[in-house]
Amino acid sequence: MEIIVSAIGQGLIWATLGVGLFLSFRILNFPDMTVEGTFPLGAAVSVTLITMGMNPLLAALIAAFAGGIAGLVTGLLYTKGKIPILLAGILTMTAIYSINLRIMGQANKSLLGMTTLFNAKWLDFLPTNFPTVLVGLILITLITGGMALFLQTELGQAFIATGDNPAMARSMGINSDAMTTMGLIISNALIAFGGALVAQNNGFADVNMGIGIIVVALASIIIGEVAFSEQMTLGERLMTIVIGSILYRFVLVAVLYAGFNANDLNLFSAVILGLALLLPQLKQKIQLSKVLKNGVAQHGK
Amino acid sequence: MNKKIVGTVIGLGVILAIAAGQSVIEKKQANQVPTVGVMQFMAHPALNQIYQGIRIGLEDNGYRIGRDVKIDFQNAQGDQSNLKTMASRFESEHTAVAVGIATPAAVAIANTIHDRPVVFSASTNPVSAKLVKNYARPGKNVTGVSDQAPLEQQLKMMRTLLPQMQTIGVIYTSSDDSATTEATKFQHLAQQAGLTVKMYSIASSNDLNQTSLQMVAGHNVDAVFVPTDNTIAGAMSTLIKNTDAAKVPVFPTVDTMVKQGGVASESINQKAIGIATGKMVAKILDGAEPATTPVDFMKTGDLIINRAQAEKLGITIPDTLDQRAHYIESIGK
Repeated sequence: MEIIVSAIGQGLIWATLGVGLFLSFRILNFPDMTVEGTFPLGAAVSVTLITMGMNPLLAALIAAFAGGIAGLVTGLLYTKGKIPILLAGILTMTAIYSINLRIMGQANKSLLGMTTLFNAKWLDFLPTNFPTVLVGLILITLITGGMALFLQTELGQAFIATGDNPAMARSMGINSDAMTTMGLIISNALIAFGGALVAQNNGFADVNMGIGIIVVALASIIIGEVAFSEQMTLGERLMTIVIGSILYRFVLVAVLYAGFNANDLNLFSAVILGLALLLPQLKQKIQLSKVLKNGVAQHGK
Repeated sequence: MNKKIVGTVIGLGVILAIAAGQSVIEKKQANQVPTVGVMQFMAHPALNQIYQGIRIGLEDNGYRIGRDVKIDFQNAQGDQSNLKTMASRFESEHTAVAVGIATPAAVAIANTIHDRPVVFSASTNPVSAKLVKNYARPGKNVTGVSDQAPLEQQLKMMRTLLPQMQTIGVIYTSSDDSATTEATKFQHLAQQAGLTVKMYSIASSNDLNQTSLQMVAGHNVDAVFVPTDNTIAGAMSTLIKNTDAAKVPVFPTVDTMVKQGGVASESINQKAIGIATGKMVAKILDGAEPATTPVDFMKTGDLIINRAQAEKLGITIPDTLDQRAHYIESIGK
């Protein structure tokens, strides 16, 4: 049972990543590789600040600010520098690796014995693993709520329009470059915030913790989409990302418990994600074959 | 609001409520056979040997595996995001002792388990990793075995084998804390001895070919020192390919890396670290408190020499070393 609670807690924390990537991947419609750099950046900044004695929440917020700056760099490279988005992201991500080593002064920085958001005194009344659930729930509610409100403002609507059709958005007087850059800033600020949370929860930051993170973030978006395939409002969409993130953790726990070799875990993640991505197509194919069958049967009459 | 979403959220809420109820009731079923959780950071020869050693150490100290003690072995494959999940698994199993092989695994466990013993194995710098307050009295629920290499002994051995040696190249992975610590420590020692030290760092195994080529190009260095470095251990053949071509001997700190083409090492026997860890785990199962169990260090290294590699590079082994050397006869594997 504890492992399930732990998975829910982990899912709530990691959902920050899914919500962050949703802005660039689903709304603006491009894969932003910067996240593999901003995630450990958030971890590095917050862990370093906490070891210097800063309040863990303030440290996480400053980490988000740092992530926003990284998003700004990618945004400028893409909009002003005309560098393809994939490359712009990879460039920023690569640069951040060295910056992270500078920030921490070492490759792996431990938080053992320090107060974090998840082991603060006021959480002591909760049983094991529940502090993560409670803090994760509070933070993700604030984040998704804030996001849903923002996307309903005039600015948010202009942002969505840019993602839907940049040319039309421009013809309506929306500065699509500014919208894209803003999306990347908010998205990467959220990812860095997620990195700060994961680092505080795990008790350390490591320069290599960003590797493969984009798959984790994508998984929560896509599993959520597949599990709830109907038409949804934006607020509901954001909720499915959080649920998707929790479901993804469940699957990982199940894989570990089934006794599979951890060597195969990345393969499993990829297969799960691949299947989730293929499911809509498969559904269509199956229906198509039914239609064909009926057609042939009728022709034979 | 979408009914399916509401349903799922309610479902998750019910699970949480049940779990909360269970943990309040706290029915502690005492396990007949204690479970030892072992989490290995990644699979590579040195760490695998430590795990083997832990099993031997437990068996030798009266804990037959499967009968007196159960082992739950987890391998995180170097993936940081798995560590927490696996540590939680130990937590939920109420492991009698949880063991972390290599610092990241140990830190993840120590951060998750606060009320039961945690033992680290092969952590080079447990104080800077905040695993323990000090070596003699760890103070909390964490203690273990450090794998600090006997570097003075190593340098002395290198100078005995290569009396003409002036310049040493040190190659290590900058993102590996214990490797960096050891590399810097060796740099100071060698500089104090009046030698020139050139430091070469890599970010990942992809850089090893280029960097090691640059290191040995034009016989830039007389010898190469490799610290306890997981990344280089995994790509040792790349390094040896380049150093062999330039006829430069490599002196690693780990015995398995001598097998893979290093010339000689005053190495900590990885299996011995494991055995010491197993012994410590057995002591804790017998009732010892981690807080008062001092961190264990390997006091001496084994001299391991790869005879074929030494001959190939024209290095003669003096009698003083010959007497206590363990020889590895084959190159490679």
